[in-house]
Amino acid sequence: MTQTGYVGASSSITAEDVPAFYEGAKFYSPAGGDANRSSVISWLAGLLDRNGPVPLLKVEGVPPETPCVSVCVLGSGSAMADLPPAGDEFVLAVQQIERLQRVRFGAVYPLAAATISALVAVVTAAQLRVPLLDADGMGRTFALIHHTAMHLSGVSPTPLAAVGPTGESVLVEVPAGPRADRMLRANVDTVGGWAALAAYPTTAGVLRRAALPGTVSRITNVGRLLLDRTDPDLLVTRLGAITGCRRLARGRIAELEHLSRPSDVTIPAHPSSVVVDEIGGLGRQLRIELRSEIVAVFADGALIAGAPDLMCLLDVSRGALATLDSLEPGDVIDVLVTPADAIWYSPRGMEMVGMGSHGIPLAHPRQR
Amino acid sequence: MRIPSTLPITLGELARIQPLSGAETHLADPARKVEQVVLAENFDRLRRCTPHVLVVLHNEAATGGWSLAAALHLAWERNLSAVVVSRDVAENSSVALAERLHMSLIIIDEDTVDVALRLAGQVSAPAAARALRQARVAELLAEQTGIRGVLGVLNRELNQVPVALVIGGAVIAGQAAALTERPSVRQIEVEVHAPGERSAARLVAAVPVPGPAALDQVESLLRLARPSLQAAWAHSRLDAATRASHEQAAFGLLRRLALETPPESSELPEVEVPSWAGELGWQVGEANRAVWLAPVRPSGEPAPEITFLIRASWQRGHTTWPLVAEGDGWISWHSGTDPSDVAALRRGLVAFRDSAVAHRLVIGVGRAHPGVGGLMRSVAEARLAAHVAREGGPGAVQWFDQVGANAALAWLPTTEIAQVADLCLEELMAARDRAALVQTVLAVLDAGGSLSQASQQLGVHRNTVLARLARARQFGLTYDEPGQRLALHVLCYALTSLWGAGSGASSSSGSGSGSGSSAE
Repeated sequence: MTQTGYVGASSSITAEDVPAFYEGAKFYSPAGGDANRSSVISWLAGLLDRNGPVPLLKVEGVPPETPCVSVCVLGSGSAMADLPPAGDEFVLAVQQIERLQRVRFGAVYPLAAATISALVAVVTAAQLRVPLLDADGMGRTFALIHHTAMHLSGVSPTPLAAVGPTGESVLVEVPAGPRADRMLRANVDTVGGWAALAAYPTTAGVLRRAALPGTVSRITNVGRLLLDRTDPDLLVTRLGAITGCRRLARGRIAELEHLSRPSDVTIPAHPSSVVVDEIGGLGRQLRIELRSEIVAVFADGALIAGAPDLMCLLDVSRGALATLDSLEPGDVIDVLVTPADAIWYSPRGMEMVGMGSHGIPLAHPRQR
Repeated sequence: MRIPSTLPITLGELARIQPLSGAETHLADPARKVEQVVLAENFDRLRRCTPHVLVVLHNEAATGGWSLAAALHLAWERNLSAVVVSRDVAENSSVALAERLHMSLIIIDEDTVDVALRLAGQVSAPAAARALRQARVAELLAEQTGIRGVLGVLNRELNQVPVALVIGGAVIAGQAAALTERPSVRQIEVEVHAPGERSAARLVAAVPVPGPAALDQVESLLRLARPSLQAAWAHSRLDAATRASHEQAAFGLLRRLALETPPESSELPEVEVPSWAGELGWQVGEANRAVWLAPVRPSGEPAPEITFLIRASWQRGHTTWPLVAEGDGWISWHSGTDPSDVAALRRGLVAFRDSAVAHRLVIGVGRAHPGVGGLMRSVAEARLAAHVAREGGPGAVQWFDQVGANAALAWLPTTEIAQVADLCLEELMAARDRAALVQTVLAVLDAGGSLSQASQQLGVHRNTVLARLARARQFGLTYDEPGQRLALHVLCYALTSLWGAGSGASSSSGSGSGSGSSAE
C-alpha cells in the first residue's frame, strides 16, 4: 500500500483517484447500492483522462468574489442505473443558472460530498474546466436539499435548475428554502426518475463561513483505506484516525424485519430494522433502524447512536462495507458510528436532521 | 396485619383471568405485584411511570420495531411490572429482548384501550379479580372426573405452587415437590374426607413466600377442589371394589376346581386353566409361585381402602400380577416357564418393601408348582412362610424353600404355652433373671447339649452358661431329663419368642431357634 499521494489541502483529483473517491463517497452514504459503480467510475476516469486532473482547492484558496455553484444528483440511484446520464445534464443545469444570473461560475462544489453526488461534482468541474472546492453542504448525505450547512447559514438554495436524462429541465425560485424540495420532488419522476441539480449559487466568500470544509479530500482518503482490504480491526482503527468513527459493537444478524410502519411523510423511506446479537461484550441485542439509511441503533432498547450520526455496517468476513440491501441473517458485522459535522448537533441542525425528523421522539445520546 | 382484600394483585393472577388469559404471556416473574395500570401513548408518559406499574402501549408508543424495544428498556429503567402490546407490533426479537431485560411482556389481540380499561378495573379491585379467578377454577374443577385430572387443574392453575394428594405419607397424585420442606415455603394442608370415612387424605400445597399466590387464596382453591376429589374418589373406589370382589370370587372358583378334582396318589391334580382367568389378566402356567402378603398383627379382614392401596403399590410395574384379598391377607402369584427364574419376583419384592414397611406387612413366598393345583399348593406354602416371616417384623420376606419343617414352629400357640409356664414353673417366672435363664437353656438344647456351642452362640463364658444351667435346674428347668426335654424345649422356645416380641420385634438375641429365617 502506498501511503504517499494522500490528497492534501490544495491538490487535484486524477483518473487514478476515482476508485478510491467512489469508495469513500460510499462510506458517507452507506445506504446506496452498487448498481452503477463500474459505469460511473469509467465515465469519470475517462473524462479526467481526456480533460486532465480537476484541481481541488480550499475555499480560502479561491478569491472571495468567485461565483460558485453546487451540484448533486436528485432522485434514486437505481433510476440513474436504469436511465444513465447522457453526460451533459450537470453542465446544462449549471449553465441555466449562469444564464439566469448572468454570471460565470469560477468553481463547483458538491452539495453532498458523498454517494454519486460527490462524483458528479468532479464530472461537472472537469466538463466546465473549473476547479472543485474542497467543501460541501452536508458532510454526508441527508434526504432533502435544504438539509445543508448553507441553508443554516441563510444561503438560499434557489435559483436552482434540475435537468433530467430526458433533456427536460425545471427552474425553481422560492423565497423559503424548504419549499424547493417539495416542488422538485413533484417533477423528478416526470423528467426521468432522477435529475441533475445545480443549486446554492453563491460566492466563495460566503462559502468560507457557510460550507463544511475539507470534506472532499476526506472521502478520497477514506476510500484509499477501504480499498486497501485489511483486517477489520485495523481498518476501524485507521478509519477512526481520519473520520473519528468508532465501533459500537460486533454482532451476528439475527433477524431482518420488513415492516411498513407509519413514518414521517416528508422523507421517502421504507422503514425496517435489523436485529443483531452482539458477540462478546455484554451480549446485547442491537436493533438497527433503517429508513433510506441507518437512522438509529438501539442496544437492549436504549438508544446508543442516531441521526445525524453516520452509522454504517462493516462486513467482518470481507473486511468491506456492507450495503443495506446485501444483509443476510447470520452475517457477522461491525456497527460503526461516525460523528457528523458539529453543525448538525446544534439545536437547529437537530431539528432538521435529528431523530425527530425520522419519527423517533427520543433524546439523542449526545444530548443526554 | 395482612388484609387479603387490599393486597395488590400479582401478574400471575392477572394472567389467569380475562382479558389476559387469552393473551400470549411472557412473564419474567409472575409474583410481581401490579399496583396501577397506565395507558401510555408516548414516551413521555412512559418516563413518568412509577415502579410496579403495568403499562399498556398505545398509539405513538406502540409503532413497533424500535419503539417497543425502547419501551421495554424504559420499563426496565422504571422498574415496571409488565408491558402489554398489540400483536401487530410485537416480533420475535421483542420477546427475546424482554427475556433479556427480565421484563414481562404480554401480547394481546384485542384493542389496547379496551384491555387497559378492564385491567385498570381489575387492579383497583383485586378481591373481585380473585373471585373471578376462583370461579373460573371452580368451573375447571367441576369438569374433572378423575383424581389426576383434579390435581392437574390445581397444579396448572396454581403455577409455581406444587400440589399433591397424600394418604398416610404416600403421594397418590400431583407433584411430590409439595411435600419437601424448604425455607421460604409455607405448606398448606386441606383434609379431604372420603365419603363415610373419618379422615383419609390431605391435599398439600407448598406455597413460596413471598410468591405469586396469597396463602389464603391457595387454601380456598384447595377447598374448592375437595368435592371434585371426593366424587372422583368415590367413583374410582366403586371401580376398585367391583374388581376386588370379582377377583375374590374368581379365586374362590379356581380353588374349588382344584379341590373337586380328586388327587391321584401324591401327584398334583391336573386341572385345565379356565378361560375366565385370562379375562382377569391372570396367568396360570408351568411355574406358579405364590406370594402371601399378611399384616404382622392380624386383625381380621382388611378394609377395602387398604386393599386399594396395597393393590396400587403391589401392581406398580406388574399389572398382570393379581391381588386377591383372602382372610387377613392378600394372595398374589407370578407365573413363568422356568421354576428357578425368580428375578422378576425378587425385583418386585424389593420395590414393594417400602410399602410393606409402611403398612406393616410381612411376605411369604411359596415354591413354584405347575398348573392350578400347583398354584393352590404354592399358596398354602406362601401362607406358611408368611407366618414364619412375622418373626422378622414388618417388611420381612420369607421364602418357603428356606423354611422347611421349621414352619411348624410358627403355628405354635406361644401365648397359651407361656401361660402354662406361669402355672408349672412358678418360681422361675418369679425370678428376676428368668429371661437369661430360659434363653440359656434354649441355647443348650438347640446345640444338642453342647455347652461350648451354646456359650459361643450366646456370647458368654462357658462357666456363665454352667452357672445359669445350675440355677435353672433349681427352678425346675430340668432340661437333661429325657422325659421332660421336648416339653421344656417347646416351653423355652415359646417364652423366648414371646418375650423377644415383647421387648422389640427386631431383637434376635432371644430367638436361637435356628429356623433360618431371613429378613430380606
